[in-house]
Amino acid sequence: MSATLEFKPQESYRDDFTFRNSRAAIRRFPLPFPEDEYMYSVNIEPHVAGPPGSVTEHAFDVDEHYIAECRERALVLAAEPLRYQALPHMMSSQWDTLELIMESLARDYPHHFLLERHGNRWHWVNRPLALDDRFTFGEPHSLPREPLDYITRQAQGDFVVMDQREGDLWTEAGMVTTQADWSLDFDIGMTFKEWHGPVPLAHELGVFDRALKFLLNLRLGQPVRRLNWTMTVHPRLDTSPENYPHWGPDRSTVTLQNAGELLHLRVELQGLWRLPRSNAVLFGIRCYLISLAELATVPKWARRVHRVLKTLHPALVDYKGLTRYRDTAVAWLAPHDDGAPTSPGTGPD
Amino acid sequence: MSDAQTLAVEVKAIEAVTPLIKHFTLAAIDGGALPAFSGGSHIVVVMKGATRVHRNPYSLLSSPRELDTYEIGVRRMEESRGGSHYMHDAVKVGSRIEIAHPVNLFALDKIARKHLLMAGGVGITPFMAMLEDLHGGAVPYELHYSVRAPEHAAFLPRLEAREAGRVRMYYDSENQAIDFEGLLSRQPLGTHVYVCGPAAMINRVIATAQHCGWSDSHIHSEQFSAPPVGDAFDVFLARSGLKVHVPHDQSLMESIEAAGVEVPYLCRGGVCGFCLTKVLELDGELVHNDHYLSEAERAKGKHIMPCVSRARCRHLVLDL
Amino acid sequence: MLITGIKSKPVYAPLHADARGRYHLMLGHGAGGVALLRVLKELEETAPAALGATRVLYLPRPMIGNASASVAITPESGAADAPADPLAELEALALAELKLFASVPELLTDFRALLERSLMGTRLYVAGPESFIGLAMKIALEFNLNKDEIRAEELGSLARRVYCIHCRATAEEVRTNIVRCGGCGRWLLVRDHYSRRLAAYMGVMADAEAPGELPEIREVFV
Repeated sequence: MSATLEFKPQESYRDDFTFRNSRAAIRRFPLPFPEDEYMYSVNIEPHVAGPPGSVTEHAFDVDEHYIAECRERALVLAAEPLRYQALPHMMSSQWDTLELIMESLARDYPHHFLLERHGNRWHWVNRPLALDDRFTFGEPHSLPREPLDYITRQAQGDFVVMDQREGDLWTEAGMVTTQADWSLDFDIGMTFKEWHGPVPLAHELGVFDRALKFLLNLRLGQPVRRLNWTMTVHPRLDTSPENYPHWGPDRSTVTLQNAGELLHLRVELQGLWRLPRSNAVLFGIRCYLISLAELATVPKWARRVHRVLKTLHPALVDYKGLTRYRDTAVAWLAPHDDGAPTSPGTGPD
Repeated sequence: MSDAQTLAVEVKAIEAVTPLIKHFTLAAIDGGALPAFSGGSHIVVVMKGATRVHRNPYSLLSSPRELDTYEIGVRRMEESRGGSHYMHDAVKVGSRIEIAHPVNLFALDKIARKHLLMAGGVGITPFMAMLEDLHGGAVPYELHYSVRAPEHAAFLPRLEAREAGRVRMYYDSENQAIDFEGLLSRQPLGTHVYVCGPAAMINRVIATAQHCGWSDSHIHSEQFSAPPVGDAFDVFLARSGLKVHVPHDQSLMESIEAAGVEVPYLCRGGVCGFCLTKVLELDGELVHNDHYLSEAERAKGKHIMPCVSRARCRHLVLDL
Repeated sequence: MLITGIKSKPVYAPLHADARGRYHLMLGHGAGGVALLRVLKELEETAPAALGATRVLYLPRPMIGNASASVAITPESGAADAPADPLAELEALALAELKLFASVPELLTDFRALLERSLMGTRLYVAGPESFIGLAMKIALEFNLNKDEIRAEELGSLARRVYCIHCRATAEEVRTNIVRCGGCGRWLLVRDHYSRRLAAYMGVMADAEAPGELPEIREVFV
């Protein structure tokens, strides 16, 4: 990947939906299907550096949509400030998160971000967003906003911080504006399993028992990641329950003619980090969107996604909100599936 | 974890703070900052002796806000198989040792309405760092610190300078004892008690708190067992296809590691449960020395924590 | 979207005494008094002295609308020979305190004041309608009472508090699967997703995807 990213600051995730993926962005899209059928698994792997140019090359991926996505977040927050919330005992985890993101971005994208530390006096420069701030680490009033609010307005994807106590992880701080139909405002304060309560089948499969046990032992300096997915009509980042009256009607507008442009595969690259000062766990949920038409430019992916959607468990079709347009999506993809076997792995051929 | 993820540090200072406890100050060899941590965390120190490798857990006692150095306190254990003796006798200023990243298995509860800390002897060490996290906060806290005699009160000057009025000392030599029942029977709702010290003290605090009606989620303790010595035995590792001899003075985990097989671990003290290993075959009995397995699990005999537990057996096969 | 079968929905169990506690704090509402009486009888048998360390806050008559009704003993209360009115029996016990209330807010105000001066070693028991349990639990959470210190038995109405995810208004005493939000006027589908912090279930717009297409309205939380 070139050292300097070319951003597309005019893109929108609402109204006229001008978001598009470049050819390069399509090639690096993180397809979440290693096989032609899909079912839950605890698909957790170490979050180590992936191949150059891939979405896992760096701890926090910055891509061509960075400026537009940060602007979209600001628009959501202006209308609904409670999309960011942190309970009072989460302050040390806020500073942990700020440090982790600033250190990572400055190290991995030195053309765009700069961090200078002199003891507790920090200097942060974010060139794409034209920010230049000096503050005292650990002193909340030295920043224009709470530390978690401040730094996650400058990062792509949602962030949740979980406190660890009573042998559980508690969802107690977060910035959630690019979510697949869940509400921080409602879920804040929940245990790990309460938070995941609305997920069907997985509890019965023991997925959350195993995931919780694993995460309680998550180690400093050894982050992990997994992929999750759903689908969204339009390249809309904010599919929140709060705004469901606004985006819910879109689900009834999909036709065989417009499905290629309208329907998007929505993939979450979820990263989990142990935070040092707070002993909390940071949960990053980075959303990637790709239209079916963009996806179909990679023949292997069109074949595989067609087969995954066709065979998807009914409970997952319902949970992921695909009921009204799953058949249309399958019909749109069918001409792209010649029945040939798909090659191993998730990368394009 | 494995040794590949350790940090190399240099011993910057050693001070005998009591007749039995040495205080070590460690700094990164490149002079940079060490990883941040939370009060209550420990590090595992990897000690490469002439004949064997010791890996012992020690609580970090330095301030989580000062990351130029880490500080630990090591008590010379009478029955030590060598870890604490190695630290006391072989490690000098300028020595280089390896440490693992900090892990916290003894964390403060962040929504507690009050913290009650109880230390016995070298059990003061995790509280030194916890007090730094609590200092200046809105939640009330108090430390009750019991030692044999005044000369055994490690880090007292530092405590008196920083925590005056919130620390109460108890000296066995002056027949002073912590009034566990009195303290635990008059704490406001939402209090958490934390105890670190000799096994007898920990057991006493837990039993007294339960007697006073405390629920288990408000009682926190940490006690790293040094791996006890025992009879020598042989173990067969099914997945590795190796037969390993466990000498009387070496732990099961150390013996397996010496044979070149990695066992995942966090605490090496029988606390975290991370090294839980399946017992596939056994002719004899398991000697459980951990604080992790329940009585029922022990009775089943299907699992062992190789960091501290052993076996008295003719035949043992583990899923490793 | 999952409507029922969500794991955040609280699970209640018949109340039993936890004799490991040193102090016992009991909140009862209507038929919940029967469950409290059962716990008190157990304590009387296993640890008689515990009654002297037990405080009971009780709202004898459940409020239905604006009218009060006498205690209804439902078959779920688990005792065919349960007393018609547990109040007389509660009054006969040698408790540290038995305090009666006429409304939930008054009871909860006293409950909060009691928690302020309670000591570690306290066990909390709550018995009554689900919304009453939820409101009591919400206060208990603020005092860092953990799961191993609280027991609750649902007795009486299953009417729900419903939090509108769109406008943040909370509807009380919801008995139907669909309810019109008093804040924004939308028809809300009541999900099983429950927040202990809000003491409410989630209500989400029922006809967003196809305006006007509403499921039949049924009384389900009774």
